[in-house]
Amino acid sequence: MSGKPETVRGTPLETADFKKGKVFTVSYVPKLEYNWDTGVAVGRYLEELKNGRLIARVCHRCQRVMIPPRMFCERCFRPTDDWAYVQDTGTVNTFSLCYVSWDVRRLKQPEIPAVIEIDGAAPGMGIMHKLGKVNPKQVRVGMRVRAVWKPAAQRTGSITDILYFEPIKGGAGKPAKPAAKRKK
Amino acid sequence: MKTPKNTDTRAWPGEIPLESLYTAGLAGQMFFSALQERGEIVGTRCDPCKQVYVPARAFCERCFAELANPVTVKPEGMLVSFTFCAYDRDQQPLATPQALALVRLDGATTVMLHYLLKVSDPAKVRIGARVRAVIKPKAKRTGSILDIEGFALMGSA
Repeated sequence: MSGKPETVRGTPLETADFKKGKVFTVSYVPKLEYNWDTGVAVGRYLEELKNGRLIARVCHRCQRVMIPPRMFCERCFRPTDDWAYVQDTGTVNTFSLCYVSWDVRRLKQPEIPAVIEIDGAAPGMGIMHKLGKVNPKQVRVGMRVRAVWKPAAQRTGSITDILYFEPIKGGAGKPAKPAAKRKK
Repeated sequence: MKTPKNTDTRAWPGEIPLESLYTAGLAGQMFFSALQERGEIVGTRCDPCKQVYVPARAFCERCFAELANPVTVKPEGMLVSFTFCAYDRDQQPLATPQALALVRLDGATTVMLHYLLKVSDPAKVRIGARVRAVIKPKAKRTGSILDIEGFALMGSA
């Protein structure tokens, strides 16, 4: 190693030294497994994904239909009241073209994560998913999209039971709801 | 206000992948290379404290002096303590109980933990019994503590 201060003691080791077996080592691989309790709302949400449906929770006070569902209205500070099925169609609220994968590999075809405002849910309420079957250059905010589901037998109760959202033909570029009409 | 039943709650499984390589250190390096290459058991000596640490340690635990004097000890010693384990680390019953030994090798002042071998009758094992290290043939040695198969009781027990 260059630039090593003279006063430092010890044995500098690099990855290659371990691979060559320059020093004796003991490998330790702890088994760290966990189960995250989904709670009532997300538990039902995942169950319904298995059924090929999107479910939301309604707050009677603020009238919001919330997806993903939650048992507590963070705006009214009170429990939510009802379940409500919503559509598996929606509008692109925002998106990104990712040319690197999660483990930092270069991608020729970008992944397109997007927040999709779900039809039937309150304005601005959406879920994060991916867009597919679309030319990356033609993705726009406001684009109308529809969920593409896995075959029923392959669904596991996971957000990946939806493969991706694809554009609704003829609906590209047309906002579902004019911004001015949105409740703030 | 009716609280919904928690019937649909489920768990989401996950895993945290962690891998580590623990290096033997300077003294460990010396101990394991002696074991692998020469089939010898090496310790370090602290003269002021009259200690011989086996396996070798880089520092004296009593006076914190650096230990630079390696010493090869005989592969024979005394059984200081022993136990028979009927269960493994996951509390699963073992097919045959595993005997473990704490051994003070001749010339050492410390004890080391290893397997106890050649136990014909567990009831007859006694503290103070003489034991001898069973060291694997050179071709099978990898620089691991398991290059020593264990300590075998000498004579009958």
